[in-house]
Amino acid sequence: MKDLSKNASRILTAVALAGFAVFLWLAYKGIALGPYEARIVRLSGIYAIAALSMNLINGFTGQFSLGQAGFMALGAYTTSLLVIPPEAKESLYWVEPINPFVRNLQAPFLVALIAGGLMASFFAFFIGFPVLRLKGDYLAIATLGFSEIIRIFITNLIPITNGPVGLKNIPSTANILWTSLSCAAIVVLLLRLMKTSYGRTFKAIRDDEVAAEAMGISLFKHKLMSFLLSAFIAGISGGLLASVVGAITPAYFRFTLAYEILLIVVLGGQGSITGSVVGAIILSVSKEWLRFLDSGFNLLFFRVPEIAGLRMLVFSLLLMAIILFYRRGLFGSREFSWNSIYRPIAFLINKIRKPKKEAGDDSA
Amino acid sequence: MKKAISLALALTLAVSFAACGGGGGGGNSQGGGGSESDVIKIGVFEPLTGGNAGGGELEVRGIELAHEKYGEVLGKKIELVKADNKSDAVEASVAASRLVESEKVDIVIGSWGSTLSNAGGPIFKENKIVCMGASCTNPNVTNSNEYYYRVCFIDPFQGTVLANYAFNDLGAKNVAIIFESSNDYAVGLKNFFEEAFKELGGTISSTSTYQLDDTDFSSQLQAALANNPDCIFAPGNFTEAALMMQQARQTGSDIQFLGGDTFEVPELITIGGDAVEGCAITSFFDPAAPINDTTTEFIEAYRAKYNEEPAAFAALGYDAYVTVYKAIEAAGSVDSDAIRDALSTIVVPGATGNIRFNDKGDAIINLAVLKVVKDGKFEYLSTVTID
Repeated sequence: MKDLSKNASRILTAVALAGFAVFLWLAYKGIALGPYEARIVRLSGIYAIAALSMNLINGFTGQFSLGQAGFMALGAYTTSLLVIPPEAKESLYWVEPINPFVRNLQAPFLVALIAGGLMASFFAFFIGFPVLRLKGDYLAIATLGFSEIIRIFITNLIPITNGPVGLKNIPSTANILWTSLSCAAIVVLLLRLMKTSYGRTFKAIRDDEVAAEAMGISLFKHKLMSFLLSAFIAGISGGLLASVVGAITPAYFRFTLAYEILLIVVLGGQGSITGSVVGAIILSVSKEWLRFLDSGFNLLFFRVPEIAGLRMLVFSLLLMAIILFYRRGLFGSREFSWNSIYRPIAFLINKIRKPKKEAGDDSA
Repeated sequence: MKKAISLALALTLAVSFAACGGGGGGGNSQGGGGSESDVIKIGVFEPLTGGNAGGGELEVRGIELAHEKYGEVLGKKIELVKADNKSDAVEASVAASRLVESEKVDIVIGSWGSTLSNAGGPIFKENKIVCMGASCTNPNVTNSNEYYYRVCFIDPFQGTVLANYAFNDLGAKNVAIIFESSNDYAVGLKNFFEEAFKELGGTISSTSTYQLDDTDFSSQLQAALANNPDCIFAPGNFTEAALMMQQARQTGSDIQFLGGDTFEVPELITIGGDAVEGCAITSFFDPAAPINDTTTEFIEAYRAKYNEEPAAFAALGYDAYVTVYKAIEAAGSVDSDAIRDALSTIVVPGATGNIRFNDKGDAIINLAVLKVVKDGKFEYLSTVTID
């Protein structure tokens, strides 16, 4: 049983990418997917970006940070305030009048999105300074606390953020091309990054901080770097999320959001970029796909009555099953490779062809 | 052993796939056989799980009750299509999209919680589907969305009612406010109360805030009581309010508390006990004081079906359905523009009063019910009309 050659893998990747591009174009034109399915694909892309941002700091750099919800909130608010037209903004602020400077801020969507990312990074810098000196659980608690502080600030800065009332009328610029291409760009960025000396440094810090420091790596500098990039990516995902949903409130960015993203990271595998993407797709698609469970269905010969929330129960059982059988997530810390599909198929074919010899191979 | 587990798991998966095939197939054949010609689909866009499930459940009860009574219009059967929005804004946008774009409903009712309504709003607007909110009181819900309507009174009105009650009936000239600053509803209500109360000639002696899930209110109470106010207005969530009242009683103060419609849940009394006695609240509706024949009809039907006293949210769910029903009847079709035209003219006698709409899509209601906690129960106090 041989593995696929490098060229064969490359050809398969190229074909898959081309297929994805065609699919994306058809989906964008509304041929391949209806608006409902397209929305699920858009959300998958956004969750994938959020999961990648968390994976960068947790899975690749080994720093257990739970601040993602706060960074997403910063990105979402910055982007929204830049893209909602001034008149629409003014009509939303009925609790207290809007700050005139914020009212007149305007930017195209791409600029707004990047500004959201930069805003998240900016805050991450100040948070990272004191906090990244902590390790493990302490770091998790501190970042979680900071994310809550950000949320409470947003809740109470009413003239700027409209407080708990939240924002709406956010233009839905982020169509399926925006979300998928942003996700693809970030995947490529991270895949490249992990091959550079910075990527290797992050992994070295994850594997053994003491050894890394002994090799002359500045721990703090690299942790901060990873943290800032992670916050930037989280900010982008927040901005896209605001545009897809069209309305945001601070309450959405509670710490439970960070847990949901952590779930994707763990499901896909900590330290696997493709794992996070696959995890995000599984999470958002299966949640919707299981919706039929809520409305009553036929289980073989029985009629199951309508039970609200049944889908979430089944959903959690599925997650538990995955974690039971794949302790380190679906991909572990490896990336997707065509061999992971090819090997079991080749193994099965071999087994069917010459069952006896196979047994000998196995023990060797 | 491991083999047995994986076998069991594989079996479960297979069964769930089979179930999916069955369920999906059933759904499709229903949709296909029924087509759009002989079934009218009404989407129910409510939180059935998550933090807001309690409120969503009550509204759904009201909607189902009305559906039993008014099951057919224009010679076609009405089918309710439920979508759980999980009390989560992102899920709400997906649920709304599913209702409108995948289930192809003709009209939507919901949702409990203005945040969830706001997340669904753009999808209804884009697809030109009318949505009838039941209890989403935030003014922004109908802001720049001509397809969103609602049957409840909105916060400015509620604030005015409470301010009038405090000033005229309680004789309060000096009110302290302690509100939940993380809650859009509470912030709005506080603002409108303050505005109306000052206009009447009263003064707000102090304002302090708290957050959801807070348990200690001693500093807020100290600040409020220092100015000797006549009463404390405390808009926000019921759990915190009940704890706050308890702590106020512990300081030896017997000051009067005022609250909004969110207080009207049994938990306020079970948590607060004796401390909440005397607390006055506004509500949409009270079984003890039927407003019209529809109210009586609704109360009797509700008692018969669920064997308990109807809550205000159930009445609003009922009204939302009845209003939608009457609008389709008046429009003679399920065309959204025809329904909107009908909604701009009709007056629907609902369980919470006569419902008609202004050009923003908000119900014009000049009637609210005041209740007071007495002997561990919400007791009807009076019905207030403001012009």
